[in-house]
Amino acid sequence: MNRRVFWIIAAAGVSLALLVWLLAGPGRRVVNRQEVVEIDALPTPTPAPEQRVMLLFGGSDGMLHPELRSVPMPAEVHERVRMVVLEVLAGPTGDLQPVVPWPAELNVVFVDNKGNAFIDLSAPPEPLTGSHTELLLAYGLVDSILLNCPELTAVQILFGGQEVPTLTGHLDFSRPLVLNKRFIAS
Amino acid sequence: MRKALIFSFLFLLTASLLPAQESMHTVEFQYAGRSVLVPKLGNRVEVIPILALIGAGAEYSLSAGTYVVALGEQRLQFTPGHKLVLANGVLLNTKEAAVPSPGGIAASISFVDQSLLGPLGFRLEPIPQGYRIAPGARFADPVSVRPAAADFAATTTLVLTLDRATAAVAEPAEDGGIVVRFDDSSPRLDPTARLQSRRVRSITSNGREVVIKTSPDIGLLNSHLLDDPPRVIIELGAVIPKPTPAPAQALERSGPPPIVIDPGHGGKDTGAVGGNGLTERDLTMAVAQRLAAELEARGLAVRLTRDDGEGRALTDRTALANRLEAKLFVSLHANASTFSSVRGAETYYMSLDAQATDAAAAATAKLENEAGEASDERSDLDLILWDLAQTSALNESAELAVAVQTRLNALLDLRDRGVKQAPFVVLTGATMPAILVEIGFLSNPAEASRLARPEHQQELARAIATGIEAFLR
Ligand SMILES: [Zn+2]
Repeated sequence: MNRRVFWIIAAAGVSLALLVWLLAGPGRRVVNRQEVVEIDALPTPTPAPEQRVMLLFGGSDGMLHPELRSVPMPAEVHERVRMVVLEVLAGPTGDLQPVVPWPAELNVVFVDNKGNAFIDLSAPPEPLTGSHTELLLAYGLVDSILLNCPELTAVQILFGGQEVPTLTGHLDFSRPLVLNKRFIAS
Repeated sequence: MRKALIFSFLFLLTASLLPAQESMHTVEFQYAGRSVLVPKLGNRVEVIPILALIGAGAEYSLSAGTYVVALGEQRLQFTPGHKLVLANGVLLNTKEAAVPSPGGIAASISFVDQSLLGPLGFRLEPIPQGYRIAPGARFADPVSVRPAAADFAATTTLVLTLDRATAAVAEPAEDGGIVVRFDDSSPRLDPTARLQSRRVRSITSNGREVVIKTSPDIGLLNSHLLDDPPRVIIELGAVIPKPTPAPAQALERSGPPPIVIDPGHGGKDTGAVGGNGLTERDLTMAVAQRLAAELEARGLAVRLTRDDGEGRALTDRTALANRLEAKLFVSLHANASTFSSVRGAETYYMSLDAQATDAAAAATAKLENEAGEASDERSDLDLILWDLAQTSALNESAELAVAVQTRLNALLDLRDRGVKQAPFVVLTGATMPAILVEIGFLSNPAEASRLARPEHQQELARAIATGIEAFLR
């Protein structure tokens, strides 16, 4: 046998043995009464069926107007809230105006067991003004969510991961808002 | 040479495996006689096996990007990469965020302890081989406190509903008011609770105690705890006033109850700004001064919530009106919209989204409190009177809003954007008829230039004054 080949095989054998020892060795610690806790695998998502949703956007009369859109609506309420908010943030396709006047991102969606949803949007890059701006943003989002997720009763909007008392100095954002149809055009 | 290369390659291969193996080590977590070895990644540990050990299930919603942890009735929610946890309906801002990991989600020991196990009623105790999970909340574990109040003829019943049982004691504070001390919990006020009482000025939490500020000469009469759900019941009423006069006394009124006019914004907060440079802050002050003159000319007393140029917190403005026992509260604003076409005046009054249920809870607690005592009939009567007072305050605000908006429509060439209801911060807690008037849109160029004209400001002031006068008649 060639000496070089011998050394290669020997070194490979040693490193293989070392590898096996390293992978198996340290796990042999004795733990009293250890039980294996089964962890369920993450569920694989199945494509959700398309559904018509009603999204609210601003009209030139200063009121909220509905736009109907077919989107895949998952069964789970969290996911439906996220879907509705992302559609509202994407903006209207027709003549209406967005209700969130900056390119906001949706960070977090929580739904508690009392029917409150919490959504966290990236904060506006500069201060906004006017109660009208605030009301259209709030109820454009809140009413769109509540009209498409009837099992929910209220929605609190957070900005940049924080609860805020108000956005432009008028409306109370420090608590969940309930459905308010007074800003939807009749 | 070749040999040396092969050796150094093999050496590097084994050497590179060693630190990888080192950082992949595990930490032991024990709970109720069981233990689990949890993979450690840097200073974070895999979260799901720890939750599973206490019997909590963690489900990940792929499209919502949120973990939902369930243990019995308790629910925790968090999103990888974000410093927010929703714990049993209460939002917690966390110091750090959990991150995605090979096992699903990983977080630091302090996040696991304070933001996940704490809210579920557990704590981590270090042991030589890792950590033991112990039942029972550590000090500073949050307890959600939901306040509600019911005003009766001579007393106010304040109910603090807790989301779990914990020791709490209500005591008179040194500077007046009341402190509710929590021995082993950090009280967090439920942000969804609305409170309206003429004897309570504010309720705050400093993380250790709930601090209740009361109206002058109002103090703690008695307090006790109720179970199921856990509640602290506090009775407030007239106490012997302290001899030292409070500096706030200078603010108290003499003479008839005034109409409080609140010029919106102020100080550094300019509010909306028109294309002509007119600020909402200056415009609302100009109209407020004209409105004050109009009302005074009609024999009515008036107070403004702020001076020219000076700012004031929103809640202070309502508090001032309550303290002065104002007849009416009128907040003046000018609007802005992303649509330059939108114009017109609007009048708003408060909507009481959460208040009705809290009010009912407070009234029920008072009835429970007095059950078995001879005062059942009186309680029923108080409850009915109180309920009527709440409803009538809202109805009066609605009437005032209609009276003012009708004049704005009739006297001026304004399109009717109508009377609407929404939860405005500045109207929260007002104990008198209270409205917010948006006198026009500064974002509409034509309306902005008209709002800048003194004659138009005078017309607006006269219209609002006529509406107020009609309401008071
Ligand atoms: Zn304003």
